[in-house]
Amino acid sequence: MATATAWRTGRATTLRTWHMTRRAYPWTYAVGTVLPAALTIALGYLGFHAIGGGETGADFAKGSGTSAYLAYLAVGATAFQFTVRLILWSAKALITEQRQGTLGALLIAPATRLPYLLGFTAFAVLSSIAEFLTLGVVIGALGISIPVASAPGAVAGALALIVAVFALSVGLGGLMIAAGEAHISQNTVFIVLGLLCGYTFPRDYLPGYVRWLAEAFPTTAAMDVLHGTLTGGHTLTDLAPRLAISLLLSAAYLVLGVRTLPYFERRAVERTY
Amino acid sequence: MIDATRSAARVFAAESLKQHRRLFGQPLVVFSMLVWPILQLATTYYTLRPVATASDAAAHWPLAADPHRLLAFLATGTLAYAFFFSLVQSAWHFSFERTTGTLELLFLSPAGRLTLMIANGAGALLQNAWLLTCFTTAALLGFGTLSVASWWMYGVVVLALLIPAVAWGAFLNSLLVFSRDSAFLYTVLDEPLWFVSGVRLPHFALPAVVQVVGAVFPLTGSLIAVRGALLEGDTLGALAPTLGWLTLLSALLLAAAAVILRVGEAHAQRTGRLRLA
Repeated sequence: MATATAWRTGRATTLRTWHMTRRAYPWTYAVGTVLPAALTIALGYLGFHAIGGGETGADFAKGSGTSAYLAYLAVGATAFQFTVRLILWSAKALITEQRQGTLGALLIAPATRLPYLLGFTAFAVLSSIAEFLTLGVVIGALGISIPVASAPGAVAGALALIVAVFALSVGLGGLMIAAGEAHISQNTVFIVLGLLCGYTFPRDYLPGYVRWLAEAFPTTAAMDVLHGTLTGGHTLTDLAPRLAISLLLSAAYLVLGVRTLPYFERRAVERTY
Repeated sequence: MIDATRSAARVFAAESLKQHRRLFGQPLVVFSMLVWPILQLATTYYTLRPVATASDAAAHWPLAADPHRLLAFLATGTLAYAFFFSLVQSAWHFSFERTTGTLELLFLSPAGRLTLMIANGAGALLQNAWLLTCFTTAALLGFGTLSVASWWMYGVVVLALLIPAVAWGAFLNSLLVFSRDSAFLYTVLDEPLWFVSGVRLPHFALPAVVQVVGAVFPLTGSLIAVRGALLEGDTLGALAPTLGWLTLLSALLLAAAAVILRVGEAHAQRTGRLRLA
């Protein structure tokens, strides 16, 4: 019974968001996703040929386990944009309701919050696929081929990334409605994740204490799995410990987020009414 | 003539005060004009480090051999980009005056339109960019990577950044006041701007087509002048063509702003619509 309700809540949210997006935001959202990632990849491509002369420094191969800089960058930039997209949908779901004046209605509806947020994530994953096909065309046009060392590992890495971002989004969404502010918090989260979690460069470059800080985010271990099983030449078994760490951290963030969400919702309602 | 100057100065002072009250000390300004650019600078530096440390890199680009100089190159890019982007942001905010209904009041007032647009942009620039300017100046001096031909070249650097940026701001303000979909321009001028202007790559690394497109944006010329003067020790003579081009471009942007304002206001008086056509 409870599962059936949760399923219906999630599905209804996905469908509603699909209809809304199709009618209200036709192109700007897609352009906003594809463009930054495509430009980052193009930046790396031009730098690689014009400055590096088609080579990279020795410390890159040591840190990343590959000399395929462009493939590494393409995977990283795509994964980063995917993270941004997912956070924009999932973490901003509640504050969007708040801004539109429907948060109160949502809170008294008999639907639980987790399936509702999962509905947004499901929509974000589905809509991102279309955008990433476009990005794939850009990557192909630049002649970048991405080696796949372990297909099941890459799938596991991608799933771990989705779980990690979802887990981060639940608590972040709560913070946003309590603060009544999304712009500063979302951009700060994006830029911190982009710097710390090893998306577009090996984390060995960062100073030691910053590397430790990066371990606090589940996305870091998920990116290790994704990079390792695509360009890094590792199998899923090699990276199983990192996968486990990512999932454990995600579980911790999720529990924290779900526990604190009612408190944030209360604060948001007290502030509004 | 003196009256006109005095009234322009008063418009300028009033608009600057407005921007000061609106922006100074705002958390958004601290984040978008200090915290984010610095973190973004670090990300860009690390992303480009693999190619800058390649064995051939120094032969293609001597600056790449020294990590501090590479960082200084990217930092000047970040600063100049923040200057120009803060004007995109403020023009976007200025276009909100359409929806709040205060734009009509501005056009009813006797204040010079072009002065108003310039003052609005310059005021926002001052409030936005001072933090990052202080930080970048301190960092560049601290790293000891500067190579400047003579002390007054610092003045040239400031002018090469400030004048084109203010002209760019006046042009954007005039354009956005008369356009309904300002969010679109915002998207187009955010990411592509850094790419075509050579903010994160040296000019020679960009394909010819991108270089041609980039030359239209004053940020490109400003960056060439700023980096040449601060990092390469270029003299005024060496930078003369770039500075000449920047002056021409600034004059063209201001002229375009004046034309847009005149056409837009005439159209609005005739049809009651705040649009260019």
